[in-house]
Amino acid sequence: MNRRVVITGMGSVTPLGLTVEETWQNLLAGKSGIRTNAIFDAETFPTPYAAQVPDFDVGRYVRRAADFEKAGRNVRFAMAAARMAVEDAGLAGRAFDPVRTGIYLGSGEGILDFFTLCESIAHGTGPDGKVSAAKFAEMGFARYDAMRELEQEPNMPANHLAAEYGIAGPTYSCLTACAASTQAVGEAMDLIRTGAADTVLAGGTHSMIHPLGVTGFNLLTAISTEYKDEPWRASRPFDRNRAGFVLGEGSTLMILEDLEHAQARGARIWAELTGYGSTADAYRMTDIHPEGRGPAASMRMALADAGVRPEDIHYISAHGTGTQENDRVETMAVKLVFGPHAGRVPMSSVKSSLGHLIAAAGATELMTCVLAIRDQVVPPTLNLETPDPECDLDYVPNTARKARVEVCLSNSFGFGGQNDSLVVRRFVP
Amino acid sequence: MSRRIVITGLGAVTPAGIGAAALASAVREGRSAIGPITRFDASNHPSRIAGEVREFDPADGIRKDQARYVRKMAKVMAVDIQLAVAASNLALLDCGLPLGDAKADEPVLPTIDHTRMGMIFGTSFIPTELDDLAGPIQASHVDGHFTLKGWGARGIPQMFPLWLLKYLPNMHACHTGILWDAQGPSNSFTTSDAGGLLALDEASRIIRRGAADWMLAGGAESRVSPVLVLRYCLVHRLSTANGNPAAACRPFDLDRTGQVAAEGAVAILVEAADVAEKRGARVYGEVLGTGAGTTTAGMNACDADGRAVATAVRRAVAAAAVQPGDLGAVVAHGTAFAPQDASEAAGLRAALGPAAGAVPVTAIKGVTGNMGAGTGLAELVAALLVLREGRVPPILNCERPDPAAGLALVAGHPAALKSDLVLVTSNAIGGQAAAAVVRLAK
Repeated sequence: MNRRVVITGMGSVTPLGLTVEETWQNLLAGKSGIRTNAIFDAETFPTPYAAQVPDFDVGRYVRRAADFEKAGRNVRFAMAAARMAVEDAGLAGRAFDPVRTGIYLGSGEGILDFFTLCESIAHGTGPDGKVSAAKFAEMGFARYDAMRELEQEPNMPANHLAAEYGIAGPTYSCLTACAASTQAVGEAMDLIRTGAADTVLAGGTHSMIHPLGVTGFNLLTAISTEYKDEPWRASRPFDRNRAGFVLGEGSTLMILEDLEHAQARGARIWAELTGYGSTADAYRMTDIHPEGRGPAASMRMALADAGVRPEDIHYISAHGTGTQENDRVETMAVKLVFGPHAGRVPMSSVKSSLGHLIAAAGATELMTCVLAIRDQVVPPTLNLETPDPECDLDYVPNTARKARVEVCLSNSFGFGGQNDSLVVRRFVP
Repeated sequence: MSRRIVITGLGAVTPAGIGAAALASAVREGRSAIGPITRFDASNHPSRIAGEVREFDPADGIRKDQARYVRKMAKVMAVDIQLAVAASNLALLDCGLPLGDAKADEPVLPTIDHTRMGMIFGTSFIPTELDDLAGPIQASHVDGHFTLKGWGARGIPQMFPLWLLKYLPNMHACHTGILWDAQGPSNSFTTSDAGGLLALDEASRIIRRGAADWMLAGGAESRVSPVLVLRYCLVHRLSTANGNPAAACRPFDLDRTGQVAAEGAVAILVEAADVAEKRGARVYGEVLGTGAGTTTAGMNACDADGRAVATAVRRAVAAAAVQPGDLGAVVAHGTAFAPQDASEAAGLRAALGPAAGAVPVTAIKGVTGNMGAGTGLAELVAALLVLREGRVPPILNCERPDPAAGLALVAGHPAALKSDLVLVTSNAIGGQAAAAVVRLAK
């Protein structure tokens, strides 16, 4: 018999707040975290705005601030979220078994030194437009900072967390695009269920609000280039005039714990994780399967794992990116799985407010499910002004809504075809 | 009752050549595949040697329709991804799953329930190829200086539209999944050198929990990049013994000179034993147990007491329900970077206890160099194909075994394999460690 897995702590920094509570209240109030890009000069970029985490001092959350001078935004976010999660779980300063504790992150890259890269490439570029690696290296060795270079690697948040907290058990970093932290929480849950760990610090951290990140998504025409004068209107999942997602950033980390382990230490329990589904589209590199085969399968797998029927679900946290294709196919997949019940379940996308946190999106959305259960209210989908006949479910347009919420489904579908779904419910002993 | 896991397909594309057999024969014969860097002009890099994969075609050996896909997509696949696709194809062609009938242009795929097959790769954050940015950067200059304003206005429009997809770390699984219609769980780890064995660890867990019957576990990375050789030179991990490439990588040797960058991909098909038995599959070995651990020493450090490796090994040995003294051999990570070797040796000593001095320990990086995420499963393939012959090959270039290791390092001559149980370990500096215990097929 599998062990039961509960959430005993949450910490989060998002474009809407530097605490779980601040983000949640701002979400319910219908605020948007999207504004003109202040991280770098993106004035001439096709997309000059993004949802950005407010400035904060990482020194408040770590033992030695000096260790983080060269760390990327992803690491800083994770250190803040982890400290708050650990304190929230009542684990601060408590002894724990380091090898029975693990880390599982959906974790993106740090910030690469774009100017040094570009200037070194320019230095090495010959008249034929080809780059001499030797000339590149000539400038690169003079300019690059060793530790800043290393900090780019996506396992650095996990490495820093292990060192900060003395966590010595199983540690994983995955980067399955937009599905990464839902997958991380799901697999972390399995680590606990199967007894590989008693406690796992799980979630995601990411910022792609750097020049090459924005460049890459602009090239794919995946992010919106509309509403430059009113960027808070740019993220409009399920609206007929949606035009792509808006990049966000941040980190949400949770303390997942074996139920008996949590009860033995008298921990406060936020909610229980009961279902996880994970599939791949195996369809095309750039397109979602037209019938939503993979997303439907991952939802079904999660429901079956949790032992619930579609009609038992009170709220769906949508992947809801705001691209034409995602929102249409996601709607179709939900109808496929939920049948006649689909139109009766509120399903909203907090990406309308927070932007898309990429590898940190899934865990952040799971957090909103946990809070929806606590407060019996579901967050809205902002900017849903013009209905799309192909998106005809109840997306909780524009205003938060009181609702009975005991069991939630949280979906993440990643670029490249990974689909992950989680079922979370109110904890009932 | 927990499901048993067996390995039924092997694929490798390494500096030693194309195919698992090429890797095995280089390891068996102690033939170094390390040479001067030819991929780029490394004359200003302090380390100018590497294990390069030469002349491989990711469309080799697969069906026409698959080959067409690969040829079309190759321009949006960084080398890492091409290597991964090639190794995966080899493993899936090797595993003997029954293929359907070829009908005109229809894909001929294994006749299995495709929702029951998934894949996990150890990958990395792939640096861009310099040429991809050269033109756009030139276009971005204002008054002789690179500017973001210029980049946004004139650089971005010159980039090729699918640029981002060429480098994403989940594209190994994306393309391989499309080629083989694998609709089960798909994951991509960015845990550096530990990636391949962690992929095996999670793949085994997924089969045990019943979410899949077949999982392709892979690892792929190319460190033969001007950006990565620069980065790892900056942190002083790489050997500068450029004069004699074949002797440069010296795991556990007193005269070791550091890591040698390399590239490669290895993929293995792991399968539920009940399913493999039913189809009469050829079995290379059984995955008895896997384990993972983490260093707490800091993001660029190796713990002196080797606790990350020790944790991973203790867990793998316990999961396998064997005793350290039962092990027939260890294929160690052995990068030849002094602090990493020392940490690994300490970890093995701590986890194996009194058996540490008796179980023969070998390593293959003298042959291949460090293939990063591709390395852990290469060690496993070496165990499955070479050690099964009953002999543990010596560590290439380990001429003066470091006595501080306190291990039964196999140097100079092969050692006898003590049993059919082999421990394989990997660890990433500053991060994750992973281990697996396999039983070699008879």
